Amino acid sequence: MSQIELDIRNLKVSFSTPQGNFLAVNGINFQLHSGETLALVGESGCGKTVSALSILRLLPEPPAKIISGEIIFGNRNLLSLNTKQMREIRGKEIGMIFQDPMTSLNPVLTIGEQLIETLLRHKSLNKKEALKISAQLLGKVELPSPEEKLKQYPHQLSGGMRQRIMIAMALACEPKILIADEPTTALDVLIQAQILELLENLKRETGMSMLLITHDLGIVTEIAERVIVMYAGEGVETGPTKELINNPHHPYTKGLIASRPHLGSTREKGHRLTEISGSVPTPHQRPTGCTFHPRCDWSSEQCKTQKPLLQNTNQKRKFSCHLQPESI
Amino acid sequence: MTDNHPFLEVRNLKKYFPPRKIILENNTAPVRAVDGISFTLKEGETLGLVGESGCGKSTAARTILRLEPPTSGSVHFKGKNLASLSETELRNQRKEMQIIFQDPFSSINPRRKIGDVLREPFAIHGFKGNVSEAVMELLDQVGLSPDYVDRYSHEMSGGQLQRVGIARAIALNPTLVVADEPVSALDVSIQAQIINLMIDLREKIGIAFLFISHDMSIVEYFCDRVAVMYLGKIVEIASSEEIYKNPEHPYTEALLNAVPGLDSGLKKQKLKVRGDIPDPSNPPQGCSFHTRCPLKEKQCEEMEPALKEITPGHHVACFLKEG
Ligand SMILES: Nc1ncnc2c1ncn2[C@@H]1O[C@H](COP(=O)(O)OP(=O)(O)OP(=O)(O)O)[C@@H](O)[C@H]1O
Ligand SMILES: Nc1ncnc2c1ncn2[C@@H]1O[C@H](COP(=O)(O)OP(=O)(O)OP(=O)(O)O)[C@@H](O)[C@H]1O
Ligand code: SF4
Ligand code: SF4
Ligand SMILES: [Mg+2]
Ligand SMILES: [Mg+2]
Repeated sequence: MSQIELDIRNLKVSFSTPQGNFLAVNGINFQLHSGETLALVGESGCGKTVSALSILRLLPEPPAKIISGEIIFGNRNLLSLNTKQMREIRGKEIGMIFQDPMTSLNPVLTIGEQLIETLLRHKSLNKKEALKISAQLLGKVELPSPEEKLKQYPHQLSGGMRQRIMIAMALACEPKILIADEPTTALDVLIQAQILELLENLKRETGMSMLLITHDLGIVTEIAERVIVMYAGEGVETGPTKELINNPHHPYTKGLIASRPHLGSTREKGHRLTEISGSVPTPHQRPTGCTFHPRCDWSSEQCKTQKPLLQNTNQKRKFSCHLQPESI
Repeated sequence: MTDNHPFLEVRNLKKYFPPRKIILENNTAPVRAVDGISFTLKEGETLGLVGESGCGKSTAARTILRLEPPTSGSVHFKGKNLASLSETELRNQRKEMQIIFQDPFSSINPRRKIGDVLREPFAIHGFKGNVSEAVMELLDQVGLSPDYVDRYSHEMSGGQLQRVGIARAIALNPTLVVADEPVSALDVSIQAQIINLMIDLREKIGIAFLFISHDMSIVEYFCDRVAVMYLGKIVEIASSEEIYKNPEHPYTEALLNAVPGLDSGLKKQKLKVRGDIPDPSNPPQGCSFHTRCPLKEKQCEEMEPALKEITPGHHVACFLKEG
């Protein structure tokens, strides 16, 4: 068995808002193994970014509050570290590509200034060395004419180039873990393919582990070895990607896969797509029992009142549903 | 309607915007958002318009509906040149030509109740019947319960609101609906609902769709034909079956190859495209794709390939496919 790099146990995060408190993440569990790519997949608002930001302790507290759980990295619980210890981890041990590149790139500093600052924060280098490494990093993320790019400002670059810069910054200190939050969502499909390929290559070269956050099952099948599916703040199913896609155990996963048309599959005229009825509940009005029950085709009385526990079919696969996989 | 002119005919349509004001740069070239596109659409037919961000899809849509005047070229709707119509005639024609936008939250007035939003098209066009009844009927058609008339947009989910956007578009029984990325802003689990709704309406009312999307799988599924745009031009157009089975333009092939997922059965050869889309105010000489094309030859830098029919109904603009 491969080594566990990061272990998230029963993480619960609440937000206090004028409309009341709610749980953005409601008891999620997952493990990131060394050298693997694990995908965290789910629809908008299900708690992917909040989970990721919790790991790096970057949530705005308040309104956010981590109310329970452990995040074990090495032999330490990240949730019990102080600010200074956490700063050591961020960037150096765990790098992150944020969902919105413009919030993490400073518009008034050149790319070079930002990269050098990142490097100097964690490494004992002089400016000249940092400059040299910065140029190498840009070469590594396959940006043409790196020296020139160092002198440019973020707005002078295209979306794809900016994403490469973000990757270079996240990888500047050779972290063991890279968290990539929707790294290609804002990009066109051709640029997306380039960025995904780059991430895969860099992962292979450095041996780092990657937590990839996405809402696109296509991307999951393309680059993740394992996947965890989230719905309304909870992890509903996890397993090796191929197995999970070919034989989903949770009705929500099954619905997600079935509702996508597949490229190249012959289309029957007038044939409708399989849909998941209803809509995602707002965090203030989460249903009782199984959170998915108002939308589930197999929902029973039990589902309305009783939360399903996590079941195992084998060591690697877990899902939370009252039914057995054969019956859905 | 007579058979001797197409339902919709777009001829060499161009839409240029004034030069972008970029500080420090002496920019005088216009943005060639749409740079000479031609196609026809039959009654009840669905044409998909695909291509990367900024290739001119939305501009083409708006110009076709004459929400903006074209720089040159023409649009004939049921044989009538839209440019020759008076304001009143154009307004009448608009009843038949509607649009659904990508983001329902910004396209539906947040200060008005849904009922009032849906009354508007009837009011504008002097509807003679019972408007309240018509609004109820519309809600029913798009699968929303009657009590939504009293809601505001912020009280609804994106999917529900997009149903309102569709209801507004079909209120006056249009024959042509332009849907500009109608599901891109929606949750994955909601997209299928909206696509199904449009499939149902298409079958029931026989609407022709111009369907804009960057999602190749949805386009294949929903459309009869597909036009691929690059830098303001159509580089390939064919039936959706044909374009997915036999993509001829290197750009189309690259787009299909780049779709991540289970669909790799389709990937014959990995055509890789490097680099970014060029600036539409300064498009490359020759074939506009040559700066990124993995199959580029010498002539591609100098001459521009014309859109040619290579098999019946399948048009491509690439020197390699001219035979
Ligand atoms: N600062 C905040 N204040 C209040 N609520 C918040 C805040 N940040 C996130 N939330 C809420 O927490 C829930 C989870 O949000 P999160 O950003 O983790 O979703 P996500 O899965 O990343 O979605 P997306 O795919 O849209 O990025 C959402 O309901 C969101 O509105
Ligand atoms: N009103 C305008 N003034 C100036 N330039 C414009 C205007 N509208 C669009 N453009 C430019 O025209 C080009 C085509 O834009 P358009 O919005 O039609 O692209 P699109 O294919 O719809 O892209 P997307 O997929 O991002 O919606 C772009 O370069 C855009 O910046
Ligand atoms: S527990 Fe019940 S409602 Fe929930 S997913 Fe399983 S069958 Fe559906
Ligand atoms: S004409 Fe030349 S550059 Fe253009 S697509 Fe064909 S091969 Fe590529
Ligand atoms: Mg997020
Ligand atoms: Mg657009």
